[in-house]
Amino acid sequence: MTTLRRIRVELSFLAALWKTNLLAALEYRASFISQVLGMLLNNAAFLAFWLLFFQRFPKVNGWGMRDMLGLYGMTATGFGLGVVLFGNALSLADIISQNGLDPYLSLPRPVLLHVLASGSRISGWGDILTGLLCMALLGPPDAAAWLRYGAAALVSMIVFISFLVLVASLTFWIGSASALSGSAINAILAFATYPMSIFDGSAKLILLTVIPAGFIGALPADFVRHYTGRGLAQLAAAALVFLALALIAFHRGLRHYESGGLATGMGG
Amino acid sequence: MAAIDVQDLRKQFTVKHKAAGLGGSLRALWRPRLGVVEAVRGLSFRMEEGELLGFIGPNGAGKSTTIKMLTGILHPTSGEARVLGHVPWKERRQLAYHIGTVFGQRSQLWMHLPAVDTFQLFGRIYELDPAETRRRIAMLAEAFEIEHLLETPVRKLSLGQRMRCEVAASLLHRPKLILLDEPSIGLDPVAKQRIREMIKRMNAEEGVGVLLTSHDAGDIEALCKRVIIINHGQIVYEDRLSALKRRYLTEKDVSVRFVEPVTVDVAIPGTELVKAGGGGYGLKLKVDTARTNIAEVLERIGHLGEVEDITISDPALEEIIRTIYEQAALSGDGGSANPEASDAPAT
Repeated sequence: MTTLRRIRVELSFLAALWKTNLLAALEYRASFISQVLGMLLNNAAFLAFWLLFFQRFPKVNGWGMRDMLGLYGMTATGFGLGVVLFGNALSLADIISQNGLDPYLSLPRPVLLHVLASGSRISGWGDILTGLLCMALLGPPDAAAWLRYGAAALVSMIVFISFLVLVASLTFWIGSASALSGSAINAILAFATYPMSIFDGSAKLILLTVIPAGFIGALPADFVRHYTGRGLAQLAAAALVFLALALIAFHRGLRHYESGGLATGMGG
Repeated sequence: MAAIDVQDLRKQFTVKHKAAGLGGSLRALWRPRLGVVEAVRGLSFRMEEGELLGFIGPNGAGKSTTIKMLTGILHPTSGEARVLGHVPWKERRQLAYHIGTVFGQRSQLWMHLPAVDTFQLFGRIYELDPAETRRRIAMLAEAFEIEHLLETPVRKLSLGQRMRCEVAASLLHRPKLILLDEPSIGLDPVAKQRIREMIKRMNAEEGVGVLLTSHDAGDIEALCKRVIIINHGQIVYEDRLSALKRRYLTEKDVSVRFVEPVTVDVAIPGTELVKAGGGGYGLKLKVDTARTNIAEVLERIGHLGEVEDITISDPALEEIIRTIYEQAALSGDGGSANPEASDAPAT
């Protein structure tokens, strides 16, 4: 099978999985609407706090409300896309430790792609909407800026999901990385919603490598504001490197997978 | 070509041992004690295409571990296996197009959606043409009598209904072989019977090979012509089901009901009195046909009193299997209880 046909087949499979996820989410309409609205409100409360803050201190180290809208909007979009399209990334450590990979391993599709896309967090739609609203508030509408926003959000999502896969893959060696995964998610989201300018050299290095929060919020948001070839290259390289590391870690770990007798199922 | 060819397959798991209590936990944290559990110990067997093979054993015998190695879910510690010409753990995806799997304790269906949505997703997973998927769903729905269930969310189906949908889903892509791991677990006798009939029908109509693991001897008795019994990760018996019965059916259970109460005061040679009850009207005997002729026993029973009803039955397969386990345990090595087992598969 040619590479092009293989990509087409996998994309078609992904589209079918996402459609199935959406069907499952829409089975519970009231829950769907309440979760999306709840997340919108949650994000609005967070932004309202910053609005009050910047009304009192309009510029902090060169940063104002517009910068915060751009940063928070980007983080929300990247996170939202990640948990809507690859929702099982949040529970991958549990899935591995509870033998949940078995059904995916008995089907002819790439295991990691299949398991990640078999779950979707409805609240992520609220995050995506938050991101779009933030971008709209930053207006006026500019096609190039929206295009940059789309590309940057894609990088933000890829780095976020790859980071979660890397941490969850530790389960293959240490038996359970659920608590570690939870801490990692909290840490990366917390750091992603602060501007990089408040961190010094070594902290910055950590936020671009060990906990790559910089590639989820600040750098993609900068790229949306001002296009530079260097910014584009940095984002593309980050997405490729973290994706490659995640794929290597997961597939190396898969050789150590020890499926026991617990009862588990598919879907998210 | 053999559907499955397994040579000296082994699987070891590393397990952590810990003494009870907080002290034990702290010591295990500092210096963990690791041990090795051999789940599968040098398994070798062969299964032909289209064959119905039963893989039977108690909990923890190594059945599921073997199935997981044969589907590519687990890598073996050592040994070789080919399933439909593929090495499962190296060519997992290529193999998955040609096999179907059903794990009785785990659902492949999306719980919150009607089964038909999972069927359609499976069509995409196996790269079937949409029209072919629709035709196949209609055909399987008719064969498994699930037409009326297809649009009901899976979470609202009974276990028996769900299991029919699971087996139907595993056949959507016309596999050459299906591996069923405890498909009847938790089902009532009627639901079990329906699943067995449907599997038998698909084997006859589509020639799909079936490797069935179960600890319910009834599944094997109803479906399989050849049986492999494993215990502690090793084969303890392998032969045709008919040969198994012939070899181990040297005992008959005899139940008698008399017109008048009788007194059983003399032992009948070659028999074991299981129960004399019912106010003297009833009698249950176990007859060793290798030691005594059943006709002689019946004659002796006739001398006890006028017989109103008599039933002569073979012991249940469970009992035979228990005997085999006991023999294997006595031999100490878990080795085959049937060294002359025929290689010929059932046809």
